[in-house]
Amino acid sequence: MNQVAIDFWKDEKLRMAWDDIVPGAPRKTVPYVLTREAIQAYCRSVGDLHPLYMDEDLARASPHGGLIAPPSIHILLMFACTPIDDWMRSPGTVNAGQSWSYNVPARPGDTIRMDARALDKFIRKDRLFVIHDNVFFNQNDDVICSGRGWTIRPM
Amino acid sequence: MDKTFDTIAIGDTIAGTPFAPTRETIREFCDASLDYNPLHWDDDYMKGSFGKTQFGGIIMHGMTNFGIITKMLTDWLYPMGGVHRRLETRWKAPVKPGDTIVPTGTVTAKKVTGKGRWAVIAVEIKNQHGTTVAQGEAMAEFPPAT
Repeated sequence: MNQVAIDFWKDEKLRMAWDDIVPGAPRKTVPYVLTREAIQAYCRSVGDLHPLYMDEDLARASPHGGLIAPPSIHILLMFACTPIDDWMRSPGTVNAGQSWSYNVPARPGDTIRMDARALDKFIRKDRLFVIHDNVFFNQNDDVICSGRGWTIRPM
Repeated sequence: MDKTFDTIAIGDTIAGTPFAPTRETIREFCDASLDYNPLHWDDDYMKGSFGKTQFGGIIMHGMTNFGIITKMLTDWLYPMGGVHRRLETRWKAPVKPGDTIVPTGTVTAKKVTGKGRWAVIAVEIKNQHGTTVAQGEAMAEFPPAT
């Protein structure tokens, strides 16, 4: 299984290395239309088949009034809302931790945009770190969620 | 009796669902998350030394931990009308195909604020050897008292 649908190596040279990343500078992002199929594929991949995400009839009768995405859907949105040359795709990027706050749920059909930037970069234990932050909004400018992540950058 | 914010006690534990990643589930997560970092699929790349880190084979996405902790929290909260408001995690050790990991939670604090009722939950994932692979803290908000 050494072939994948999206090749992170292909555009590696286009991506900023740790040296090039400027804390505070916005990252390029792209809007993304979240589909029911994408939500449910994500849910299956983590074994989370809650009816609020999977069962249209039950979700409609719930206080949510329809299907929603699980809070952790930002895992998909992080890559869905960034272009192929975004430095988060650099091969060898290691995720060291994440912190997220949740406001309104994402829903199928939402057009989602992301505001993102590096917040900080530093060297610790001979490793190169970057802290990034992200905020996801729906088409009504409601905040869906906001978060920070710590990644170890490839050397 | 169903749990409510009022009956939750400090020290209450939450049992999550075991998750057993395989090469196939990791690939499924690649497709679902669009995260095709070669750490998760490229056997040749993972034979080498990555900076100071040597994993010795492909590893599960760290964010899969995040997803299964989230499932544990929402499965616990939804029946109470609770809302998952925050999750902070650190990855302590890699997870590999063939491992079995289990999330757990422990209520560490309750707080009534001006407009809300909150619980703080320590979360952890351990593998089949008892090694902690992820650790963190969550917050949940509950409907106002009626």
